[in-house]
Amino acid sequence: MAKPKIATDWMCGCAGCHMSLLDMDERIIQVAELADIRATPITDLKEPDESGVDVGVLEGGINNTANEEVAIRMRKRCKILVALGDCAVFGGVPAMRNFFKIEDALRRAYVETESTDSEGKIPDDPELCRQIRVRSVQEVVPVDIFVPGCPPDADTIFYVLAELAQGRKPELKGELLHWD
Amino acid sequence: MVNLTIDGKQIQAEPGTTVLRAAQAAGIEIPTLCDHAHLTPFGGCRLCLVEVEGIRTLQPSCTLPVSEGMVVRTNTERIQSARRFVLTLIFSERNHFCPYCQVSGGDCELQNNALALGMTHWPLPPNWQPYAVDATHPYFVLDHNRCILCRRCVRACGELVGNFTLGFEERGTNSFLIADVGVPLGASSCISCGTCIQVCPTGALIERTSAYQGHLMEAERVHSVCLGCSLGCGIEAFVRDNRILRINGDWNSPVISGVICKQGRFVPMEESRERITTPMIRRDGMLKPTSWEEALFEVANHLKPLAGRNGNGIAALASTRLPAEALALFKHIFVDELKADMVTSIEEGRPTAAIGALAQELGKPFETTLDALWQADCVVVIGTDLVKEHEVAGFIVKRLVAERSSELILINTEEDGLADRASVVLKPSSSYLDAIQEMSLALKQGGVPYLQEAVAHLSKAQKPFFIYGKTLVSEGGVTALKALVLLAKQTGGFVLGLKGQANSLTALQYGLDKAFELKGQQAVYLALGDANPSQRLIQQLEKVSFLVVQASHVSKLTAMAHVVLPVEMWAEVEGHYVSMDGRLQKTTPVLKMSGQVRSSVDVLQALARMLGVSDTVDWRASLSERVSPIVIRET
Repeated sequence: MAKPKIATDWMCGCAGCHMSLLDMDERIIQVAELADIRATPITDLKEPDESGVDVGVLEGGINNTANEEVAIRMRKRCKILVALGDCAVFGGVPAMRNFFKIEDALRRAYVETESTDSEGKIPDDPELCRQIRVRSVQEVVPVDIFVPGCPPDADTIFYVLAELAQGRKPELKGELLHWD
Repeated sequence: MVNLTIDGKQIQAEPGTTVLRAAQAAGIEIPTLCDHAHLTPFGGCRLCLVEVEGIRTLQPSCTLPVSEGMVVRTNTERIQSARRFVLTLIFSERNHFCPYCQVSGGDCELQNNALALGMTHWPLPPNWQPYAVDATHPYFVLDHNRCILCRRCVRACGELVGNFTLGFEERGTNSFLIADVGVPLGASSCISCGTCIQVCPTGALIERTSAYQGHLMEAERVHSVCLGCSLGCGIEAFVRDNRILRINGDWNSPVISGVICKQGRFVPMEESRERITTPMIRRDGMLKPTSWEEALFEVANHLKPLAGRNGNGIAALASTRLPAEALALFKHIFVDELKADMVTSIEEGRPTAAIGALAQELGKPFETTLDALWQADCVVVIGTDLVKEHEVAGFIVKRLVAERSSELILINTEEDGLADRASVVLKPSSSYLDAIQEMSLALKQGGVPYLQEAVAHLSKAQKPFFIYGKTLVSEGGVTALKALVLLAKQTGGFVLGLKGQANSLTALQYGLDKAFELKGQQAVYLALGDANPSQRLIQQLEKVSFLVVQASHVSKLTAMAHVVLPVEMWAEVEGHYVSMDGRLQKTTPVLKMSGQVRSSVDVLQALARMLGVSDTVDWRASLSERVSPIVIRET
């Protein structure tokens, strides 16, 4: 039997969950032995196979139309979708901006920040994606496995990937389950 | 006893016990959120749902009384699923964002419960509507986004403290925690006792000083005694890296379970004075660091030739915040050994001298413990404002008024913070003595129209209790105090004086209660500890030719001193204190001393040795050398 295929992607996160994934050190080889690691933001192949993968992992929430596309594409191309980290599971830190108007958040980010020199400008190229309210992955597409944590520990990620690669549903509890 | 079965375990419980408490007593854990061991059951969160045979729906165990033959299950899949659903609703009701909440990761009961139920996510999204954050209070912040409407804070404010500042407006999802009639916390009737923060299960009420300093669950917990006043409330300090993160009221406090006032909880956290870390001697007009050996040698050298002199010898003052061990040794060195003619405390016996004098005169204790206050149906507070000082005693009074409808009579020449709870407020026109005697006469003969109501309450009362403060003692003296004791006797009631600082009663017992006056004494030894010197004291000591200050913090007095000896502050003290109602309690050091700081007892012992006098004294026996106003008892 062919090894199950795993693809990952990131959206509105800080890349910390992927850093935590790499933090599993040499165990990544075990994962590679159990599964076929396909497209990830930290490998050459950037998009999940059109022919589909078994496990899709998403880091980050959805805060613009580009992320929406990433989430929908991953959902279409994977059998099991994993929301990795607090941003993917709950919206996370970026969701703090939901308490403000998007225009106010953009003005703060591009015009008013202390590091903005002379006059700032809110990017408005029509080719750019549009900012929307920050949502968790499950608010956009159905999610099968939730792995909370900011970031989830390397042990947790290894456990989840190893279980999925061997066709089992990971049950997070005890030390492996935390939200912070 | 009622017999029931919980999770297959045969249990007996008192009738009226809730299923939750019966289960807890039998060691069966049921998850809870709105429930709190020290508050009345509320039944608001529904997390404690259990299955009861013969009852169709799940029941909240926190409000369900046990009944004979009841068969209860606490952990079936049906219950677990209901609990997850309950938590889902709570999470989606407001905006809980764990990654940037300071209680996340162990200190949040909401999160802990979700993790225990294996919840990896919230099946429903958060509310997303922003709720207000009230940051108007000087000591804590209220974030409504994290409030789960459990009303623990409301119950604590009313039931434990008797203050009734917090409440709820609206119903259902519109329910909203408010202060008074919806004013900002900082502008409300809140008296900053902080009990609400202590019971809040989430990060909705956040203490400013402890926030983001680390998890309390990982901190070391030290139970000790508050030295803020003479009540001797129990505290629980959370310590990390020799730093206090937070001070809570001890649930085993002998005064009110779990409750302290801002003097105990917040004020110590605001300490901003500079610490003295090394002994210093004045050389060429400047204070220079020196060794303990040299500093004590200098002190002994100056004091020894002055021993036994009258008028131009030695004066010595001690703080009434020092432990009994230090006060006894202080008295022993300066009174017994050096025969100094002016040895007293920095309170100069103002809140206690007359109390001591009356005890001598009567030849036996005349005061009653706080336990009797809890039984009082009429409380007379005279010569003090319990909202400004000895606040926790004021909480007891407020609770008596609220819980037992006890009558409250205030006799105060000043405005009194308890006035709005009082049945009668009397403002003595001439003196406290006159007011007491007039009351006594009116009780016998009646006929004083403005005292009619007070007299009616007192005559009706079965267990009246008279609390008197330092104004009565210092202004009225022994005469007024004696009149009050007689008035209490006349009504079949009890009396209790507030005394002053944490160890004022001990200082009184050691005879450190006279007015301080300098008659040309050449040297003054001031065992100040961590007390704040009064302006008057600073002025009095300005012209002293040799001043020794034994203190924890830099002050105007240490700047004037010839020798400065660094000692412990309250949190580092290990020693005994006698509360205003005679409880002898021992403090546990919350922090460790660092640098060259030593305990007051150590310093006084070293000084005694340097002086060549005895360095031991039986502090416990010395407590009973004089008749005490109240029986001093070990706890």
